[in-house]
Amino acid sequence: MTDRDPLQELWTNQAQEPFTMSLADIRARATRFQARIRWRNATEYAASIFVIACFGWFAVTIPSPIVQLGAAMIVLGTLYVCWKLYTLARAKTADETDQAQAWAEFHRSELQRQRTALDTVWRWYLAPLAPGLLVFLAGATFAPDSPAPLPARAILFGLSVCFAGAVFAGVAWLNKQAVKTLDREIAALDQIRAV
Amino acid sequence: MAGNPDQDARYLAAAAEFGGALQRLACAMEANPERRRDLLQDMHVALWRSMTTFDGRCALRTWVYRVAHNVAASHVGRERRTRAGAVSLDEIDHLPDGRDLRDEHETSDALERLHMLIRALKPPDRQIITLYLEGVDAAAIADITGLSAGAVATRISRVKTILAQRFNDLAASASHD
Repeated sequence: MTDRDPLQELWTNQAQEPFTMSLADIRARATRFQARIRWRNATEYAASIFVIACFGWFAVTIPSPIVQLGAAMIVLGTLYVCWKLYTLARAKTADETDQAQAWAEFHRSELQRQRTALDTVWRWYLAPLAPGLLVFLAGATFAPDSPAPLPARAILFGLSVCFAGAVFAGVAWLNKQAVKTLDREIAALDQIRAV
Repeated sequence: MAGNPDQDARYLAAAAEFGGALQRLACAMEANPERRRDLLQDMHVALWRSMTTFDGRCALRTWVYRVAHNVAASHVGRERRTRAGAVSLDEIDHLPDGRDLRDEHETSDALERLHMLIRALKPPDRQIITLYLEGVDAAAIADITGLSAGAVATRISRVKTILAQRFNDLAASASHD
């Protein structure tokens, strides 16, 4: 006579597909895992590298000091974003390596890391690019050799700033929504942990 | 990526003892055979990597289950971003139990239903139910999940009630044996 739940019997006696993984297979997959992390990081930098290349080229080829200044500021802002991506990727890798934490701690630190990254997006991703973009747009719109009348250029500048502002606001809003979802998950987890 | 002999030996011992449990966990967490195999391989790689830092801060069984459940939770979290619909134990009554689809007396069918139920649950109920089914006691489940013993005991009690309700055919057949 056993007091084991019949479902426990069913569970532990279930038929399993053949599975073998040698130490060589493990090492090979671990190496591929590292390569995957490097690739993931590289894709995050790819857009930044493209922006740096474009605006770096503008900074040296467009013969307008204000446009050059704006392009150089965008390059500097993008380098700052790259540095932040690097520190966030390091934090993520560190989290991934300590997988022997209790599930609740592991899960909470993962949620909190994501929350911090998303909640501060405006500060480390949007704000560093905004001044350079404004100067660049001003320099390009109000170039002395432009044939358009000043009011038309002012309207064009206003529209450009509004468009860029709307894109930035959209990115910030989407991230805030994601933060709210993460907050709900963290609160639910804390409630369970508090019992 | 090179390992060291201690790491390899610890991993091989852990895999020999808990390989079946890892496989059952992967089955419960991922329905797609290809992604399930990937998940299982990721669990083994994470376990092997973790053995460089295995310091006896907890029992080997606790360590193995923590690593496996954390890998599984990350996998499910990634999947969930593209698929909504996990529910808590309180909401599980609203799920179809599949009894009208197939002959419920088939063992494989009961297992399939059990897998479906587990996959539909939110964490930490998903972790607790799989550990309970493995026969892990409440104190060890608390250690693995990081929840209080009281919270785990309450959830196990609810898990048992739900399993009894939804799998009474198995309980009945067991009582006739």
